[in-house]
Amino acid sequence: MFFSKHGFIFNRKSKDSLSSGLKRVILGMILVVIVSFIISTYVVTETERRDFSVRESESVIKTLSNNIISDIDKYKSLSRLIMTDDKTLIFLRSDVHDIDIGMVNDARYSIMEILNVTEGVDSVIIFREDMKMVATNRFSYNYDYDLMNTDTWKTDIYTGLGKAVVSLNSNKIATKQDGSPVVTIGRAIFDIDSQERTGILLMNISPKIFNNLLLELRYDDICIMGSDGTFLSGNEDYAKYYKKEFSEKGLTHKNIKIAGKNMLLSSGRIEGLPLVILRVSAYQTKGIPTKMVVILLFLLLIFIALAIYIAMFIRKNISEPIMEMSSSMDENRQSGELHKISVPVPNDELRILENDYNSMIDHVNELIDKLMEKEKNLQKAEMRVLQEQIKPHFLYNSIDTIGYMALDAGARDVHGALETLGSFYRNFLSKGEKEIPLSREVWIVKDYLSIQKLRYGDILDDVYDIAEDTKDLIVPKLILQPLVENCIYHGIRPKGERGTIKISSRLSDGNLHIIVRDTGVGMSTDAIEKVLSAKKNEAEDLDSESFGLWGTIERVRYYSGKEDIVRIRSEIGEYTEIEFII
Amino acid sequence: MDEKYRVMVIDDEESARKLMKAAIDWDSLGMEVVGEAASGIEAINTIDDIKPDIAFVDISMPFMDGIEFTKLATERYPNLIIIIMTAIDQFEYARKCVSLPVFEYMLKPLVRSEVTDVLIKAKEKLADIKSSWGDDDGKSIPEESNSTEMIKKYVRDNFSDSKLNLAFVAQQFGFSSSYLSRKFKADTGKNFVEYLTEIRMKKAVKYAEKGYKMYQTAAEVGIPDPNYFGRCFKKYTGKNYSDM
Repeated sequence: MFFSKHGFIFNRKSKDSLSSGLKRVILGMILVVIVSFIISTYVVTETERRDFSVRESESVIKTLSNNIISDIDKYKSLSRLIMTDDKTLIFLRSDVHDIDIGMVNDARYSIMEILNVTEGVDSVIIFREDMKMVATNRFSYNYDYDLMNTDTWKTDIYTGLGKAVVSLNSNKIATKQDGSPVVTIGRAIFDIDSQERTGILLMNISPKIFNNLLLELRYDDICIMGSDGTFLSGNEDYAKYYKKEFSEKGLTHKNIKIAGKNMLLSSGRIEGLPLVILRVSAYQTKGIPTKMVVILLFLLLIFIALAIYIAMFIRKNISEPIMEMSSSMDENRQSGELHKISVPVPNDELRILENDYNSMIDHVNELIDKLMEKEKNLQKAEMRVLQEQIKPHFLYNSIDTIGYMALDAGARDVHGALETLGSFYRNFLSKGEKEIPLSREVWIVKDYLSIQKLRYGDILDDVYDIAEDTKDLIVPKLILQPLVENCIYHGIRPKGERGTIKISSRLSDGNLHIIVRDTGVGMSTDAIEKVLSAKKNEAEDLDSESFGLWGTIERVRYYSGKEDIVRIRSEIGEYTEIEFII
Repeated sequence: MDEKYRVMVIDDEESARKLMKAAIDWDSLGMEVVGEAASGIEAINTIDDIKPDIAFVDISMPFMDGIEFTKLATERYPNLIIIIMTAIDQFEYARKCVSLPVFEYMLKPLVRSEVTDVLIKAKEKLADIKSSWGDDDGKSIPEESNSTEMIKKYVRDNFSDSKLNLAFVAQQFGFSSSYLSRKFKADTGKNFVEYLTEIRMKKAVKYAEKGYKMYQTAAEVGIPDPNYFGRCFKKYTGKNYSDM
C-alpha cells in the first residue's frame, strides 16, 4: 500500500498536469502563429514582387513605345519632305507620255539625296495613279505585280487621306529578297494646287533602327514583333512566346517558366503601329516589402516572448507551489505526524489553500488529543474498577480464616490447598507490578500446577531446572503461567496419559533462555508456523490454543522490542518445547 | 411416586462431580444421582445405560464440550431435562447454546439453594411428561428377523463415529431405544453397549500392537476421550494400554 502511494507521488508530473498541458498549448500557439506568419509573408511578398515587376514592365514598355513612336514620327516627317521634293513632283505631275527614264532617275536621285541625311530607310517607292513607279534600292526587292495592280493593298492608305499609315513589308507588294522584314510607312499623295490625289508613297524602314534604340536604352530583355508575328528586333529567344491576342490588347502580363524559373511575360501593342513589344523579366527582390516583413517578424517575436512568459508565470506561481505544498503534505502523511506546512507561496489563492489545510491539521490534532485524553481517562477508570474488584486483602484474609477452620477440623490437606491458593494469588497479583524476578514467576507456576493437580488428579509431574544466575533476572509477569496452562489443556490432557512439564532457564550469549517443555500431543509444523507469523489482525483466525500462545509471544516481543524471541520445537505425539530468548 | 428421578452429572472435574453429589439433599427431593461422566464422549456412551431424567452439563469439557453434547442429547432424548453449568468467564461461550432447548443455565460456583430451586421446578415439569426411557412402545413394531443382523452390520461399519450410541441407532432403524435394547440382548445375548465396546476394543488392540499412541487409537476407534478410552480398554483387556 505504501509503495503504491510512493509511485503515485513520483508520477504526479503526468501528462495531465497543468504545467505540461500549458506547455503543449503554448507550443501549439507558437507553431500556428509561425506557420501563418510564413504563409502570409510569402503571399504578400509574392504579390508585391509581381506587382512591382508588372509596374516596371509597364513603364519600360511605355518608354519604349514612346521612343518608337517618336522615331516613326521622324520618318513620317521625312516622307512628307519627299512628297514635296521638286523632282518627285515633276514625276507625279507629268503626263504619262512624257515620262522617260531620265525623269525617273532624276526623281530617284533627288529622293536618295534627301535620305542621305537619315539612317534606317531601306527604300522609298512612289507610285503614280497609273502605277508608274520610282523606287530606291529597287533591286533588293521582289515585286508582286499581280497584287500591285489590284486596289486591295491601297485601301488602308487611301482611308488615311494623306496621313501616314504604318504597316509591314510594303503591304506585301514588295518583299526583301533576303526575307528580312521591314516597317512600311504609306501615304497617299495629294497635289498641293489641285488637291487631287496623284499617287502613293511607301517608305520601308529597316528594323535595325529598333536595335539601335534598344542598345541605346540598354534593354536586353525585350523583343519587338510585328503584329503578324514576325520577329523584328531585340532578343529573338522570346519570339516564341508571341501570341496573336497580344496585338489586340493594350498591355498583358502572364507568368511563364523559363528553365524552371518563374518569369513575368509582359506584352504591349504600340498605339497606332502594327508593332508589339514583348518583355520577359525575372521577379526581383526589389519588390519585397521589407519593412512590412520586419514589422511582422518583430510582432512574432513579441508574441513568442509573451507566450513563454505566461508559461513561466503559471509554472512559477501555480504549478510549482502546488507541487511543493503537495510534497510537504505528503511528508506529513508519511511521517504520521501532522505538522502544519509552511511553503512560501506567491499568491493569495494558494495562501488560502495552505491556511485551510493548516487549520484542518490543527483541528485534526485537537481531535486526536481529545481522543487520547479520553482513552487515558477511560483506562485509569478501568484500572480503578479492576483494583476494586480484586481487593486482595479480603481474599487473603478469607483464605487464611478458612485455612484455620480446616486445620481446626483436622483437614490438613484442605489447609495445604488453601495455602497454595493464597500463595498463587499473592504472586499472581504482585501488587500490580508488570515485571517480576524470574524466581517469582516460577513460584506462580509451581502454585498453579499444584492446584491444577488437585483439580484433575495426578495427571502430571512438574520439573524445574532454573539456573542460579537467572533467578533474579526481571521478566514480564505471567509469561510462564499461560504457557503451562497451554501445556495442560492442549498438550497433556488430550493425550490421556500422565505427562511431564519441565521448566528450565539459563544464561547464554548474554540472553536469558527460558524453556517450557511438555510431553503432550505436540504441535504440527503448520500450527507452529501460524502462531509465529500471525499478525494482529489475523490473530482472531487462530484457535483458542494458538491464540493464548500467540498473545504471550506478542507480549514478550513488545517487552523486548524484538521480533525474533521465540523458538518452538515439537514432535507430534511426543513433545512440545517453547523457548523464549529475552 | 415411588420411583426416584434419575440424575446424571457430566463434568470434567472429579471434585465438582463429587461436590454435586455430596452437597445436595437428593433424598428429600425424591431424586438420586445415578451416574456421572467426565466428558461428552463418555456421556454419549453411557447415557443409554444410565437412563437419566435430568442431566447437569458443564460447558467446558475436553473432546466433546457441553454445547455439542447438548445438541446431540436434545435430538436423541427429547424429554431429557438439561441444566447447563458454566463459569463466569465462559459466559460468552455459553450464549452460543441459548438457542438450544435447555431447561436452565447456572453459574459456577454453584450455590446449593439455587440448585435446589431449579430441581424443584424440574420435578414439576417431569410430573407432566413421560419418561424417555418408557418400557411400553415398540411392541407394535413388526418383528423383523434380520433387523438385528442389519444393526450389527451398521455398528461394525460405523463404530469409529464417536457420536454413535443406542438411541442413535434406534432412531436410524425406527425402533424405540428400550425395544432395540431388549431385542438386541435377546437376539445376541449381549448388551448393545457391550457389543459396540467390544468391536471398538478389538480394533484398539490391533492399533496398540501396531504401536499407536493411546490418544491416536482412541480417536481412531470412536472414543476420542483417551481417559474414558483408557478405562474401557482396561475393563475389556484387563491391562493398561501402555502395558500392551
